[in-house]
Amino acid sequence: MPRATGGILIECEPAIKSIIVHLDSVSHDIIIEDLDEQHLLVRPNMVHLLKQKLEERLKETYRPEEPLADSDG
Amino acid sequence: VVDQIRLWQLENERMRTTAGYLFRDFESPAEFAALTAYAEEIGVLVWKNEKKNLFFVSKYEQLRDYLKSRKK
Repeated sequence: MPRATGGILIECEPAIKSIIVHLDSVSHDIIIEDLDEQHLLVRPNMVHLLKQKLEERLKETYRPEEPLADSDG
Repeated sequence: VVDQIRLWQLENERMRTTAGYLFRDFESPAEFAALTAYAEEIGVLVWKNEKKNLFFVSKYEQLRDYLKSRKK
């Protein structure tokens, strides 16, 4: 008899997935199952926190090394 | 502020979430095939992987009933 596990399926590109896997590696309380390179099953109560952390991480990743000048010259 | 808005859009476009159920531990490849076909037919199949014998559906009630009826 098959078993069913409840959770949230996340579909994302591999780069985003690797960030999530890295976030999970700290406390192992986000991912239930690593499905494939673009899919993860995660705990429903962690999705909100995950989105927050992902946002923080994306801000870091995409932050320019030099502050942008206010003037366009 | 513009950058923050852009990042929000980035995340929302790059990540899609669906609540539901992951099915596993099938008795045979035939059972897996039958269940994924049925799930697709009733419009609840979100993701499947034949190699790993796993699939994900947005609702499980009809599949549960389908399994029960097959066992009789």
